[in-house]
Amino acid sequence: MTGKERMLEAFALREPDRVPVWEMAFNEESIIKLGAFFTDDLPPMKFAQQMTTEEKIKLLSTLFTAARELELDGITSIAILATEPVDDDHVKDGWGRIMRVSEEGEATPVAGPVSTPGDLKGLKIYHPQQSELLMLMAAKGNFGDEIAQVMVQPGPFRESWMLLGSMEKLLYYYVKDRRFVHGLARVATDFILEVTDMSADLGADIIALDGDLAFSQTTLMSPGQYEEFILPYHKEITERAHSRGMLILKHSDGNMWPIMDGIVEAGFDGFHPVQPQCMDIGEVKARYGDRLCMLGNIDCTYLLPFGSEGEVEETVKKTIATAAPGGGYIISSSNSIHPGCKPENYVAMVKAAHKYGNYPISIEV
Amino acid sequence: MSDLLQRIKEAVMAGEEEDTRKLVEEGLESGLEPRKILEEAMVPAMEDIGDRFSRNEAFIPELIVAAAAMQEGMEVLKPRLSGEAKGRGLVVLGTVYGDIHSIGKNLVRMCMEGAGFEVVDIGEDLKTERFVEAYQEHRPAILGLSALLSSTMQRMKEVIEAVRAVDPSALIMVGGAPVTQQFAEEIGASGYAPNAFEAAVKAKELLL
Repeated sequence: MTGKERMLEAFALREPDRVPVWEMAFNEESIIKLGAFFTDDLPPMKFAQQMTTEEKIKLLSTLFTAARELELDGITSIAILATEPVDDDHVKDGWGRIMRVSEEGEATPVAGPVSTPGDLKGLKIYHPQQSELLMLMAAKGNFGDEIAQVMVQPGPFRESWMLLGSMEKLLYYYVKDRRFVHGLARVATDFILEVTDMSADLGADIIALDGDLAFSQTTLMSPGQYEEFILPYHKEITERAHSRGMLILKHSDGNMWPIMDGIVEAGFDGFHPVQPQCMDIGEVKARYGDRLCMLGNIDCTYLLPFGSEGEVEETVKKTIATAAPGGGYIISSSNSIHPGCKPENYVAMVKAAHKYGNYPISIEV
Repeated sequence: MSDLLQRIKEAVMAGEEEDTRKLVEEGLESGLEPRKILEEAMVPAMEDIGDRFSRNEAFIPELIVAAAAMQEGMEVLKPRLSGEAKGRGLVVLGTVYGDIHSIGKNLVRMCMEGAGFEVVDIGEDLKTERFVEAYQEHRPAILGLSALLSSTMQRMKEVIEAVRAVDPSALIMVGGAPVTQQFAEEIGASGYAPNAFEAAVKAKELLL
């Protein structure tokens, strides 16, 4: 089977030849450290936003080399929106969102073009440019249909709060001004649908809808608020992805139990990353495994940053034994390979997945 | 509880900022002690939200609007509170270096204020020296450290060691998504809580 076939078979809730291995995100530092296992031709260690075009291309090529050498079954792309520098620590994108650049991960918005309900009417709508999907084009050009092309984009909740520059502000308006919340979600969803269409045109197989809806204890919003403010927009997005021949998964860290029924009702095909501190993958699979493909669950909070390679192997073995039988499981970390993860532990995770993930699963734990 | 105190409590719980301000003003005009308004109406309102939160009957939006109403009421109340009644003590909060996330810290701030603490929020992505400076400047009853990433939470140990070098008895609480009780104990923190409401409860316990 090709990597793509393996991923699609898992999404179809059937057993492929082996458990597919995929990752939703790697940071610059992680790519370079992983790349060092396979090549000496590496870009300098800095943020993508601070790299020259040549260095960005080298970063992508390092990621592709690592993905190929590790025999990953899918590759993830993101839209890299054009930005202009504001100062040493901040950039501004086409929406007018000011993002703070961090050493430890993605840029985070600190101010948005909308501050109060009155600002929404005058908001200048930004339309995605095809050049901003360069990463997907490069991944498709490099791997073709050999492995699955996954396109990550923020969901309507995240896009909405990014327009406000603060998640707290959006949650405040959940109680104070419902119409405004829907207005923001409309703008956000229209943008997401445009990116979804462009991703389909460029050959994406799977959309991964980012944006956490939960934290360790429970969901950020009540199930009723999810149904009112997010579910209708999720439905629009999953319908569009399906109508364009793609699959779609929902990513959210944290304890998503209160709204898992909504995730199914919204039409998602998969759920990532089943954070092990908050959700038991065996239980999630038992309750939703006939409707959702499970992705993730290998702990990147403690295990991958601080564990030993032996502990990683043991966890992968146990997780496969629990989640893989019957199909519908794709292995990945419980969020992303961030700079805190030891690269050798990630390599150990992939090797263990290949060692224990062959169907039929016959692991004694 | 008087009818007015009850109405202030309900206004805070419902997140009605304007009503809270007006009712607190009304209470002061009618001769209610500022301390009584704080301790018998506003703090219990936030405690009720906390209880509902722990039962999954209230979620973060309800906390945020209640905290906004509490803040509105406090603006009226604060100048009228005498020194010793100003609250339970001072808490300095910040997110450690490399971590630009603010929501967890902000929720802790809201809950601490809701529990009657005075809070100085020194921001995000702060170098260890900044925590030491803030500690020396404010001499808080409690210093709170936040981190959302497992890579950045390692900085907490460094901050605890640096602050304890200037005050070995400093009370330092830690929290954030990747932080656990075990980790908090390993790095020598004085306290840990798994969520913002419990952080306020833990802070009260530490000061008993």
